[in-house]
Amino acid sequence: MTAISVRNLDKRFGDRPTLRGVSFELEPGGLLGLVGPNGAGKSTLLRTLIGLVPRDAGNVAVLGHDPRTASLAIRQRTSYLPGETGVYQQMTGAAFLHFALGFYPRQNRELHDHLAAEFALPLAEKVRNYSAGMKQKLALMATLIPDVELYVLDEPDRALDAKVRFFLRDVLRILESAGKTIILCSHHLSEVETLAHRLEFLIDGRLVPTEAVTRAREVLRRRPRLRLRDQVELPAGAQLIEREPDGTLVVETAGDPLAWLQQLAPADVESAEVGVVRLEDLYQLLLHQPAEATS
Amino acid sequence: MIAGKTWREIRWMTLIYLLIFELLAIPVLLLWPDLYDDFQRSTLFKNFPVHSLKRIFEGVSDKNEEIAFTNWAAAMLYFRSVNLVGIAGAVLFGTALFARERETRTLEFLLARPVSRLSILWQKTWPTTLAVLVPIFLVNWSAIYWSQLIDRELKFAEITWASVHGAAFVWMFLAFTTWMSVRCRTQAHVAFWVGGITIVQLGLYMTQRIRPYSLFRLSDFEWYGPILAGHLKPWQMFDPINGIGFTTWVLLATALFYFLAWRALRRLEP
Repeated sequence: MTAISVRNLDKRFGDRPTLRGVSFELEPGGLLGLVGPNGAGKSTLLRTLIGLVPRDAGNVAVLGHDPRTASLAIRQRTSYLPGETGVYQQMTGAAFLHFALGFYPRQNRELHDHLAAEFALPLAEKVRNYSAGMKQKLALMATLIPDVELYVLDEPDRALDAKVRFFLRDVLRILESAGKTIILCSHHLSEVETLAHRLEFLIDGRLVPTEAVTRAREVLRRRPRLRLRDQVELPAGAQLIEREPDGTLVVETAGDPLAWLQQLAPADVESAEVGVVRLEDLYQLLLHQPAEATS
Repeated sequence: MIAGKTWREIRWMTLIYLLIFELLAIPVLLLWPDLYDDFQRSTLFKNFPVHSLKRIFEGVSDKNEEIAFTNWAAAMLYFRSVNLVGIAGAVLFGTALFARERETRTLEFLLARPVSRLSILWQKTWPTTLAVLVPIFLVNWSAIYWSQLIDRELKFAEITWASVHGAAFVWMFLAFTTWMSVRCRTQAHVAFWVGGITIVQLGLYMTQRIRPYSLFRLSDFEWYGPILAGHLKPWQMFDPINGIGFTTWVLLATALFYFLAWRALRRLEP
């Protein structure tokens, strides 16, 4: 049985379509990264999965239940981190954790201690005195400590510094290795790329088809990034796509990029990167040049 | 969990609300002997242009002091305190229930907990209901003690039944405010709607010919006076067929507003 199955999901807010024909499946124990620009419908998709927002059309099954008719059954086996940090300002950190964790019968005590030690939050203080990052850490503790089957995380790394993001990456790996299913969306593409078994790009309410992503990857594989010594001209057979501020050139070759590169003398090349597809580039290509990416 | 959190949020407000209620009751009861003399002497009140208030002034200046005092208690403890402090408390406590969760962006967190929305409504409702309604009974029962200090008597049974009706009326406002709190995006909007409707109802009540169309007609001196005097029996309060049944109507309206609140909460998208 799949952990999450979504078929032709549609959702509108008034006249504005937010999700259009979204379909995907996620196996138990998988980690799905959801990437997309602001307003693409990522949060709406996550909310629809746990039944916070009703769908207009399509079929959805989460842990074997339909969120429209059995959202409570889903939420009993799911822990959800909202995109906007929702913590009660008037409570102390300890009181908030006690409140948030009290809804779940089982908790991961080991992870509790691990997070408490790493985050070192002043739990005796009122949450209103916390910084944005501290509130996010508290919300993360409230979300990750419950021992459930599915974790739905909407921008878990928001307001966190790099060190904590790396730590969070490790924590998610621990959960993943324990067989938990995780779906997360984030704007930190490198984090998602490192963590996720599978990436889905949600743009303008639609998931970009796998074939389109594959084609976009092929396009990017033909785009070597290189730095040439002064006065060295680009050989024929490639088109300059971009010149980055540090002088790195991104070119698109007509044929095999390695064969094209061999036209240059090794002494003329300071550095070269061939066949590497960066998520940022893939994202930009899908986002700004969908016609090119999907054609 | 949610009920405990709700209670912790309102406990100090409840205490202050109870104190305000009590502080309004004590002086009006203890000053009764002096006030009664004033009412006896004054003819100004008897010509008061607002009919409902004129009826009160006639009642409290009755030649039989026992009847006059009962009317005074009905006017001050119920018509004034319940309608003023009780409704203010209902609006104050009810406004925050859901609209504040929206304002502080905790509503999504709350709705995502593994608990049904009916349970969320119930766990937020019962502590608030007790916080608003129990002080009505406590303060009015305490009036029995205060009245004994000035050698007057208020009967426990009548005080309790009048408090039941006063509490039911305030509960209706709390239920309406709860419904508005689910529907509105901010506390200010809830206060605007509930406050606006209350003011319109008061305006209707103060206008002679259209007074019967005001909700405050269900919680005025002309109901509390007969209950406290023992002329209106409890079964008449609840029986809409053979009695007057106004308490039943108020309770039915309360149930309707809670049903609407639950329906709105069930459909609520964070």
